[in-house]
Amino acid sequence: MTDFDAIVVGSGMSGGWSAKELCERGLKVLVLERGPEIKPDRDYVDQLPPWEEKNLDRISQDEIDKHYFKQYPGVAYAVKESNKHFWVKDDDHPYETVEGTEYDWLRGYHTAGRSIMWSRQSYRMGPQDFTANKEEGVAVDWPVRYDAIKPWYDYVEEFAGIAGNRDGLEQLPDGVYQPGFELTDAEKFFKAKIESAFPGRNVIQARVAHLTDPTDEQRKLGRTNCQARNRCHFGCAFKAYFSSLHATLPAAERTGNMTLLHNAIVQSLEYDPESNRLTGVRIVDAETNEHRFYSSRLVFLNASAIASAMILLQSKSRAFPNGLGNSSDQVGRNLMDHISGAGANGIISGFERQKVFGRRPGGIYIPRYANITENDKPYTRGFGYQGSASPVGNAGGQMAGIGRAFKEAHKNPGPWRISIGAFGEQLPNPNNRVTLHPNRTDKWNNPIALFNVNYGENEHTMLQEANKDAAAMLEAAGCTDINSNSVSLTVPGNRIHEMGSARMGNDPNDSVLNKWCQSHDVPNLFVTDGSFMTSAACQNPSISYMAFTARACDYAMKLMQENII
Amino acid sequence: MKTRREILQGMIVSIGGSSLLAACEGVARITPSPNDSPQFYNPRELALVTKISDLIIPRTDTPGATDVNVSGFLDSLMTEWANADTQQSHHRAIGVIGDQLGWTFLELDRRSAEGELTSLDALAYTERPREYSAYRSLKGLITQAYFASEAGKLLEQEWVAVPGRWDPSVEI
Repeated sequence: MTDFDAIVVGSGMSGGWSAKELCERGLKVLVLERGPEIKPDRDYVDQLPPWEEKNLDRISQDEIDKHYFKQYPGVAYAVKESNKHFWVKDDDHPYETVEGTEYDWLRGYHTAGRSIMWSRQSYRMGPQDFTANKEEGVAVDWPVRYDAIKPWYDYVEEFAGIAGNRDGLEQLPDGVYQPGFELTDAEKFFKAKIESAFPGRNVIQARVAHLTDPTDEQRKLGRTNCQARNRCHFGCAFKAYFSSLHATLPAAERTGNMTLLHNAIVQSLEYDPESNRLTGVRIVDAETNEHRFYSSRLVFLNASAIASAMILLQSKSRAFPNGLGNSSDQVGRNLMDHISGAGANGIISGFERQKVFGRRPGGIYIPRYANITENDKPYTRGFGYQGSASPVGNAGGQMAGIGRAFKEAHKNPGPWRISIGAFGEQLPNPNNRVTLHPNRTDKWNNPIALFNVNYGENEHTMLQEANKDAAAMLEAAGCTDINSNSVSLTVPGNRIHEMGSARMGNDPNDSVLNKWCQSHDVPNLFVTDGSFMTSAACQNPSISYMAFTARACDYAMKLMQENII
Repeated sequence: MKTRREILQGMIVSIGGSSLLAACEGVARITPSPNDSPQFYNPRELALVTKISDLIIPRTDTPGATDVNVSGFLDSLMTEWANADTQQSHHRAIGVIGDQLGWTFLELDRRSAEGELTSLDALAYTERPREYSAYRSLKGLITQAYFASEAGKLLEQEWVAVPGRWDPSVEI
């Protein structure tokens, strides 16, 4: 008899889904969260009015140097004085990079993980994303095609709540959507110009995980409409955007089957060679340093692509001297992110007599066209652009004049500026990896992460071209004052879409997981965070992690019912 | 027919901005509790920052920079947020601005001071931006601080805490 039927490691974007799906199927589930509890009444600051923010909501410079020297430069747009408790202190959670390389590991350790700080863009992967590796002879083939995951996208979108438009694009399949956030007139003008000047390119509404027409189930969970406040990085008292905290974990909780344990840092998974099964999970309590063991029939790793890989690498045994489930030597390799740092912005004229009301969560999206509708590119794969057109408004005081005229000029929305920035696909490369640091440990005596990630020629070439394309599109739309600075490729990890460290594949010799996110080596181990991704595509990945997690849980249940695991 | 101010007051009360009513009476402070006794600026620096901020954003039918204590706010910002390098650089910047205006600026009546600052502002935004970067930087901070205040946010920018909806196209 085990302590629990299943253990889920991590309570974030995918861990919440594992908890919900397994609890709803009747399993007694222990969810292990390495950080402290987030209590919205105490910890959310979304209702703090701007004039009550301390120091323009800036974290003090000395504090950044001491505690947030990686997190703040990496994600300054979201790390503020009022919400800094959502981000890890770098001195408490160190990591290193191999000399000559850089990596941004941007994290929040607490209930629901980064699902309370994410940017909520939610695009399905398309059919081409699952076949590209095979067609191009890159890495290994995905063991899954779009048709297999499609019903699971439907399932998770219905529950999570995605606002968007059905645009009928094959490469960016439509999903189950609530009404989207309508484009501004300037964006509609831009859309018409682009779609006419560049047949095969489209400008669509961003698809975001915000409620605009909640279902009965969402209302039962206490969730309500997005209020267009744009305070999402501070939490949401309306529970309007999807997070584990307000959607999947409460759904798991209401079954009565979930035990959620905080401050539980997983150190290793315990393996029994005779049965070839995991027997449970060893943890250290982050506050008391007490070591404990919990047994279970099933383990879902949802600790994030980096942490899950590290847990596997730390779980060494005679049977798995290089880390649990790592007979392929692929654990920790093929680490991918998305690439940004190319784009353009410019003034789009003719809308000076207009302004907007409300602050929507997303703007426009230009789905990938490279190597889909245009096949003349000096690189493989492609990118999408995210952006928006909005009034320039208050330029931070940087306009001429003083006195009444200067003061009142801030009421004018001013000219409109459109801005687009690329999110491109990084190719899998086994040399891009995270390993256990050979001799440095954290304060719980766990090895720290050592990163060695470099971009390849395809990434560099792609972003150069994305920069040129962005400027060309703004020119075609008649924009003026176009800024398209030289490409400044983001540091690996900076897009916070880390993935690929325990890839899926058909062959146990060159992949870690099978098509169900199940370990090839150990049948009662599933990994359903970003680790499983065989390639990165260029879409923001969270909705894909959700869909694959739900599908894996369904499969794991079948195996349990058949007593296979 | 309600006056603009009565309408605004109604709106402010309805969203709990009671302290803003005090702001209209000229006793405003940007919260939370900026330094009433300056800890960063010396008296001459404080006088300069206060005078410049009052000229850049004067009281109109809404509170001005002095009403909301922008200089006290910047004093707090420099004390609590800035590190030693930034503090030194800000002291230097205020010195440069004082030298460019001439410290007798502090003695000038409002109209004369306005004339001097208007001339300097024109140089900073047209002919010699690099030479006047200290002033531009201070102007940016003053403006940010003012529009972060309750009065600046609610009365001037008509900021709404909970819009409740998105309208992409509102005719002005």
